[in-house]
Amino acid sequence: MSRATKTALVRGDSSMYEAAAAGAVGLSGVVFAVGLLALLDITAIETLVAGVELSVAFGALLLLIGISVVGFGVTSRIEYVETGAQPSAGFVAAAAFTGIWFAVGMILSGVVAPGIGVQIAAGAVFGGIGFGATAFPREDIGSTVPAGALAVLCGVVLTSGIVGPDWEQVLTGYNATLFGDTVVPGIVMFASLVTGWSAAKAYGGFGARGRNVGAYVLIYLVVLSILAVLLGLIAFVTVKGLPGLFNGFSLGGENLFSWPFLTNGAGLLADIGGVFPALMGTVWLVIGAVLFAVPTGVGAAIFLSEYAEQGRFTGLVEVATNGLWSTPSIVFGLFGAAFLIPRFGNEKSLLAGMLTLGFMLLPLVLITSREALLAVPDEYRDASAALGVSKWQTIRSVVLPAAIPGVTTGVILGVGRIAGETAPILLTMGGGVLPAKSAAPNVLGGFQFTTSPPFVSNPALLEATSALPYQLYALITAGLSGNIQNPQEYAWGLALTLLLVVLLFYAIGITTRYYFRQKLHQ
Amino acid sequence: MAFAPQTDWRAGIERQLTRTREFVDEADQAALVVVLTSMGSLLTAFIGFLFASAWTAVPLGVFLITTGYGWVRYQSLIARAVTFAMTTVTLITLGLIVIFIIAESIPVFQYETVSVFGVSVPGLGMFAQTRWDAVTSPVRYSLVPMIHGTVMVTVIATLVAAPLGVAVALFIAEIAPPKVRELVKPGIEVLAGIPSIVYGFIGFTVINPWASKEFALNGGSTYLFVGMVVGLMALPTVVSVAEDALTSVPDVMKNGSLALGATDWQSMTSITLPAAFSGVSAAVLLGVGRAIGETMAATVMLAGVPGISKPLSNVFYGYETLTSLIANGYGSAHGTHLSALFAAGVVLFVTVLCLSILSQYIEARMRRRLGGVE
Repeated sequence: MSRATKTALVRGDSSMYEAAAAGAVGLSGVVFAVGLLALLDITAIETLVAGVELSVAFGALLLLIGISVVGFGVTSRIEYVETGAQPSAGFVAAAAFTGIWFAVGMILSGVVAPGIGVQIAAGAVFGGIGFGATAFPREDIGSTVPAGALAVLCGVVLTSGIVGPDWEQVLTGYNATLFGDTVVPGIVMFASLVTGWSAAKAYGGFGARGRNVGAYVLIYLVVLSILAVLLGLIAFVTVKGLPGLFNGFSLGGENLFSWPFLTNGAGLLADIGGVFPALMGTVWLVIGAVLFAVPTGVGAAIFLSEYAEQGRFTGLVEVATNGLWSTPSIVFGLFGAAFLIPRFGNEKSLLAGMLTLGFMLLPLVLITSREALLAVPDEYRDASAALGVSKWQTIRSVVLPAAIPGVTTGVILGVGRIAGETAPILLTMGGGVLPAKSAAPNVLGGFQFTTSPPFVSNPALLEATSALPYQLYALITAGLSGNIQNPQEYAWGLALTLLLVVLLFYAIGITTRYYFRQKLHQ
Repeated sequence: MAFAPQTDWRAGIERQLTRTREFVDEADQAALVVVLTSMGSLLTAFIGFLFASAWTAVPLGVFLITTGYGWVRYQSLIARAVTFAMTTVTLITLGLIVIFIIAESIPVFQYETVSVFGVSVPGLGMFAQTRWDAVTSPVRYSLVPMIHGTVMVTVIATLVAAPLGVAVALFIAEIAPPKVRELVKPGIEVLAGIPSIVYGFIGFTVINPWASKEFALNGGSTYLFVGMVVGLMALPTVVSVAEDALTSVPDVMKNGSLALGATDWQSMTSITLPAAFSGVSAAVLLGVGRAIGETMAATVMLAGVPGISKPLSNVFYGYETLTSLIANGYGSAHGTHLSALFAAGVVLFVTVLCLSILSQYIEARMRRRLGGVE
């Protein structure tokens, strides 16, 4: 421990070293990002950068980073700068580099002399060298030289043009071919990831602090890329879907605005095809599922957390609830098809879809409501009981109001989840690919009372009805074609509408939670 | 507790009976009648529904009327009874799922009976040979090609979701400053909310053509990219459960390590992760369950033709998974073919339920260990 403190103090004179290492981390990051752009075909690897092709420029940069990474390790080893390097780079790094160099050996020998036996032997030799170079020297050499050597190797392969834009390799037996414009970015991204980690360790001065920095760099990279994927997905669907969504949209006129995509049906009669029936289908689905699942789920949560004694019964219910939570949605669909449809007139129907989604929503509501009820402090219950209030009165006027925020949030997020479900309604609700406006469910006006059993009926509930996710699926299986002007644009508009409906629920749910939490902390 | 001696069990019933008797003696007779009528009519309605009787509406109406009356007169008693009835709904639902999907799959189990050494084993033909053909003779319903597809997709998805998910969970639970956490956490939730059909649509219109061009494939349906998309969809499950496990490690343990001069990363790898290890593995198991059950992305992106890729590990071609088999085939299937789809559902359901129960067991054990006594 004393050494860590000492190095931290002595580190003042190694600012040049730190700056160089930070530069190498940054450069690795840039190379990684450009490699990603090339992988996604946003930039081509044939593009000329400073007079050379991008793939060659990648190679040169990897050479530079690789050599400097080895340099960091050597500088630290000859104790030109003082670092906190430990005797070995550790088991995890050794295992990782063994794997990496094993793969390198397999690939290189596969090019020179293909054959599974030779390749495994070469892989074992390279893996062994990688292991030895990582595990046995001091940490500063062990975690830089194998990484730098990998980058230098990749750099040489790229700058020499052995692997370049025109390179291709047929994967015999797999019926697939690897091309330069996929492999080059792949190589570049992987090598820059390894050097970035290694340079980050050097920046932290190896040892415990260096490992901390190295790990953080990787974790931040993971989180950033996942957020980038998320934003990219949403942005992509938005850009592709806006033309369809706002097709024929106009402000003013006799109504305040006209939004044909949301208020029209599809089919020959409509000038501009719209998704009104599916939108109404989704709205009614959600209403039906909520009417079934929320009272049931909240009631069950009340019984479990307020009345029931912890024992075999509550344990069983808990296992069943979690089991239902993880049951695949298609299994709920099968269940709805086998159980509900025969009981509702043997046809796919809105009611069957509602109840199937209700069964799916039930465990979500039950789990979140139970958590919310358990989070209400026992002092509330005790204080109420001390005032002579009965148990049920306490639950009704003290516990439930305190738990409402949690319950609401859980319900809204759960609804967001089921609103986008396709598999269950595919089997239970059906509906047309491009329903006309008249196919929109008219539930409120549909109730009929009769004198023979079952006394109440509602044809709207017993008809096959479309919903947003189902219609998107039906369009895809129809090959994105149909009796509308521009099926592609229509489908993207539909996808965006669905995404917006779901994200709206999530936005409301997350805001509600945030609002109540703020209120709680005041 | 689960293996309590039988005498305890008897005593428990005895106690329960006494308590019930006392309760009945104390309670208002009229209230008891109302509650019993209400619950009895609910049970009758359920049975009526089960047998698809048109008269189901009658007991349902009786239930609503008596419960409404009871709510006005004897609210606390009826509330307790009704919430109990609601609690049983989850158990009943799970039970009904088991009964109905197994009942529907019985014909195919009979059809695929194979005799081994003179003993006929129903359903063995679904797993012991690899031919699935519902149309041309010989009609056989082997689930092996689909199980292979599901395994391929799930393995790739787990390789994506498990390391990335644990890294994000570590970030949210341990590393991120509060403000960043407030941004990243909802972001991951939104990722869980993006409908699977939207992922599938993007996969179908963007990823499949791209993969086909980039690897010169014969069609764009690949297990590789379906697996990656499914991994992205399973990731939020891994993150939220693993994060719960990591935050449930008592702060005193982490603080002790930090006070000894360990870095944050050292505390994470040598204190937090080992302590939360079982919770994190439960998270990965649940993520695997999600990946197995994911339907729409696979249905839309895969070719939808049952087959086994050659060689077995060829990730560049995708055929069919258990879930996509059901989604693709349900509209047109009849008879034994339909029953075979239910058999695929049984395989899915049983696998995922086992994963769920296993992960709950692991989590419960971790909670007991961390909390000392639960």
